[in-house]
Amino acid sequence: MNRSRVYGVFLRYFFVAKKGLHQLSDIFYWPFVDILLWGLTSLWIRSQSDIQNLPLVLMTGLIFWQIVWRGSVDISVNLLQEFWQRNLVNLFSTPLKFREWIAGMLLLSISKLCITITFGTLVVYLLYALNVFTVGWAFLPFAASLIIFGWTISFLASSLIIYFGHKIEMIAWMIGFLFAPFSAVFYPVDVLPEWARAIAWCLPTTYIFQGMRCILLGGSCPVSYFWISLSLNIIYLIAAIFIFRWSFEKSRHKGLARLE
Amino acid sequence: MISPTLSVRNLRKIYGKKNPFTAVDGVSFDLKEGEVLGLLGPNGSGKTTTIQMLLGTLGVTSGQIHYFGKDFFKHRSEIMEKVSFASTYTSLPYVLTIAENLRCFGQFYGIRDIEAKTNPLLDRFGILDKKDKPVSSLSAGQITRLMLVKAFFTDPKVVLLDEPTASLDPDVSLDVCKFLLEQREKTGLSILFTSHKMEEVAELCDRTIFLKNGVIIADDLPENLAKSVSSYQLRLTIVDGMKRTIAFAEKKQIPYTLEHRVIQFSLDETEIPPFLNSLMQAGVSYASIQIKEPSLEAYFLKIAEKSQ
Repeated sequence: MNRSRVYGVFLRYFFVAKKGLHQLSDIFYWPFVDILLWGLTSLWIRSQSDIQNLPLVLMTGLIFWQIVWRGSVDISVNLLQEFWQRNLVNLFSTPLKFREWIAGMLLLSISKLCITITFGTLVVYLLYALNVFTVGWAFLPFAASLIIFGWTISFLASSLIIYFGHKIEMIAWMIGFLFAPFSAVFYPVDVLPEWARAIAWCLPTTYIFQGMRCILLGGSCPVSYFWISLSLNIIYLIAAIFIFRWSFEKSRHKGLARLE
Repeated sequence: MISPTLSVRNLRKIYGKKNPFTAVDGVSFDLKEGEVLGLLGPNGSGKTTTIQMLLGTLGVTSGQIHYFGKDFFKHRSEIMEKVSFASTYTSLPYVLTIAENLRCFGQFYGIRDIEAKTNPLLDRFGILDKKDKPVSSLSAGQITRLMLVKAFFTDPKVVLLDEPTASLDPDVSLDVCKFLLEQREKTGLSILFTSHKMEEVAELCDRTIFLKNGVIIADDLPENLAKSVSSYQLRLTIVDGMKRTIAFAEKKQIPYTLEHRVIQFSLDETEIPPFLNSLMQAGVSYASIQIKEPSLEAYFLKIAEKSQ
């Protein structure tokens, strides 16, 4: 792994991110709108119900879901940038290795995520006087687990995009939301029908959201939740990168120029 | 024995499985150090496909590629540190400025002082003042020149150029050709070059490979290829002795065309002096004489015509 090349990839997408309005809106605008919408909704629900911590549960769920969603679009949208700007052939006619490309994108993804989390947490605190760090130090491993799953989703979306090309580019934004209902972001898993519960317990995100609710509602998160989530994440991420690599090679065999 | 800078053996690309289409079929050639090699052929002959395979952005069906004696498929990244590419058909991220784009590419090649490398080239191509402008604000010709800067600022040993002058005005094209020859002279780099501008190829290339339907049909000096399909054209404006001239040409079975007082003959280079001598002895006088060399364009047109 060549650090200069990883930094080159980081810079390439960083330059786009700091200029592209839609990239900036992903970091600031949409999280802000979500927080405003869900915050006010949860305040109203609290006034109608006995669950005192509901706003905090919903807000923390929202911030946590931003982490998954942020990760789920990062890789695939960066890939689409290369399609749109006819740069894929340029990029891979350099010494750049596939793994360096991935590492550079992940580095930027982490950086953008840190900004989104800081911004979101600040907004939640300023608007609702709520501290999403109430979950304590569990926040860090939880966040790590969530972003890893976001990347897994993004690698799967990228695998499809690089194989099939432009015609399915919408999948980059759609695929993340497919996992939201099963991850039990805003409600307990018990709410789901039985068949959906089976799917939910196969997702690493479900354990994190369940654990988060346990802590916020006064209990403690079973340590096993974190370890199961981490184990599933590692398996899925490796599988997703493997699938992406396979799709990339298949696509390279057909010619990267056809994607531009 | 010194191995060639680039060695290609039996390169083949077949697309599809149900209805396979062979785009490149058993192409073999060498590119020597300091050589400028033209890769020519009509549209769809396999030029770009070959270049894409040589870059690794298109998988090969079979065959071997060696750069600097090393297997390209095993040492791609290491090899690409010394190989660069420019094409009219690709672009650079248009929201990024020229400087930002070159900075990213410089990182890929581990270049530390990127400005020291890029500024002289940007200046050479007349786009230094646009360094901080986004690529989207550049004209097609300026983007093409930027692609050349990108290809050359990394000090490559081999440059693959896919129609690098296609979108350029004639004067800028000429300047680019001059630049390529300068670079070759200065650094001894090897260039593989595709173009549809035959005059440019004849001027620039040491050797020319002609592809047709994915197969090499000729590999020779540009002038030899030109001579293989067309003769020298000798054009005379006759003042006195037109009938004698025609009679002489018919007797010697020399093909000619006639337009008013201008007669044009197709001859081999060596036949011209004795032919003119014979006309002089026959008392023919002419007001003007023009000799047109066989052109690579004639060769190209003949190949293209055959493939239609």
